[in-house]
Amino acid sequence: MSTQPVIATSGLSKDYGSGRGLFGLDLEVGRGEVFGFLGPNGAGKSTTMRLLLDLIKPSAGSAQLLGLDSVNDSLAIRRRVGFLPGDLALYPKLTGRAVLDYLAELRGGVDRRLRDSLVERFDADLDRPVRQLSTGNRQKLGLIQAFMHEPELLILDEPIAGLDPLVQQSFHALLGEVSAEGRTVFLSSHTLSEVERVTDRLAILRQGRLVVVDSLENLRKVAVQRLEIEFGEPVDANEFRALPGVTEAHAEGSTVIVGFEGPADAVVKAAAAHEVRAIRPYEDDLEDIFLRYYRTDDPA
Amino acid sequence: MSVPTLKMTLRLRLLFAASAGFGLIAVLLGVGALFPAVGHAIGKLSIPKGVDQLLGGADYGTITGWYRSEVGSIYGPLLIAAVAIISASASTAGEEEDRILGLVLAHPVERSRLIVAKAVAIAAIVVVLAIGCWVGLIAGVALAGGGITVGHLAAYCLQLALFGFATGSVALAIGAGTGRRSLANGASAAVAIIGWLINGFAPLVSAISWLKYLSLFYYYDGNDPLAHGVDIANVIVLGAAALLLTAVAAISIKHRDLHA
Repeated sequence: MSTQPVIATSGLSKDYGSGRGLFGLDLEVGRGEVFGFLGPNGAGKSTTMRLLLDLIKPSAGSAQLLGLDSVNDSLAIRRRVGFLPGDLALYPKLTGRAVLDYLAELRGGVDRRLRDSLVERFDADLDRPVRQLSTGNRQKLGLIQAFMHEPELLILDEPIAGLDPLVQQSFHALLGEVSAEGRTVFLSSHTLSEVERVTDRLAILRQGRLVVVDSLENLRKVAVQRLEIEFGEPVDANEFRALPGVTEAHAEGSTVIVGFEGPADAVVKAAAAHEVRAIRPYEDDLEDIFLRYYRTDDPA
Repeated sequence: MSVPTLKMTLRLRLLFAASAGFGLIAVLLGVGALFPAVGHAIGKLSIPKGVDQLLGGADYGTITGWYRSEVGSIYGPLLIAAVAIISASASTAGEEEDRILGLVLAHPVERSRLIVAKAVAIAAIVVVLAIGCWVGLIAGVALAGGGITVGHLAAYCLQLALFGFATGSVALAIGAGTGRRSLANGASAAVAIIGWLINGFAPLVSAISWLKYLSLFYYYDGNDPLAHGVDIANVIVLGAAALLLTAVAAISIKHRDLHA
């Protein structure tokens, strides 16, 4: 199996002016990965995906997909990529079947059995005009068209938007199968449970710039640690705020919650000056991790 | 050319074109039926020269002049231009504004081939309308008592179709080049209307009479095909304008960003 990255960007930029756009994105996504792409609204996620598919032209930098240049070899790339846009729109007067037929024809035809199996899997309604379908049912059509030609790379912008939990489950199972076959998924999401469940690695964008690329496990490790220290009597949280590495401290009755980076030595020693009844780790949840990276006043 | 895109564009637009075609046939029959009753009386009316020029400068007392003024000068080109402009802008800028084009172009289809398919679809639509016009004219002229050969009617419809295609190609070029539907509709309509006014008024003032050569309308109507048959030079100019504008559309969309 080739070790060449499926997606490799180098200084990829799209400058819309006024600080909007994407700036100097360096990113690699390997074969068979399910890669999460996260960030608040306007961070540049959709812009990145549109650049990868040559729907917009880069202001600077370049991208390679499947070893091909995203601009010069765009047509060859699009044969091998499935795309679900975040703002999916389809011909409103046509039925789902007519829309899928057209999109399949644009690819020179697809395996009918695979398409039918996807329709069955997602329980998609192909007989009603698109304008009569709910958001979730339209999204099912979007997913079917993205997967129906067995692409080597799937670029999915907010894929579970509008899907009910059962269909989400089917979709996540499909992602697992796709990844097991050595195909690659590059998806953006705002749904943290989805990211936690399906992605191997993730990148976080903020204001058009890459903030971090890592596995969720590593992100948890380097996140701010917190200790919940229960004292025999109320203690002033300010005692902890001045300690090296401490980022926050607040008291709740006789309990003080201290957040810190690096070793816990100073915190534990300061606590030991009082009667300590219990020390418990206070684990960041996923949302805390992301919010920390999302915050614009945080230099992370 | 992207054949699936051609078929899809026709599927989305042919019903609209067919409806307009049936309306056109009905009007042509009505105009023919009216001629025996009012044609000769109207032919004796004194009409200001400017208005007369805008209506083709024809003799309303003859069946040829009657159809030229009633259909050839306004209704025919207005209808075919409107259908062509709306179809061209909807299938380019309209699909882009509706966010459908982004998904389509994420598939393996070249932008230029997509635009050529849209242009061929517009050409097919104006041909359908022109055939409807021809059928309506044959029947309408028969109702009026005859007087225009089938060949001259065909010549008129050929020049009408090419005028529609050229006007639609203006919308295609603007729609593909900008992705803005209202701009494509508005600017193309302006080109058609200004062309009609120039063709009507410029010949009245010798100093600016040359402006008529800038008007697509001149090449559609200037030689009065109902009376004199097809003008090959005019046909070539209209066809070349349409092809040139299609090429502009195909090139201009190739290198620009699609709107989100």
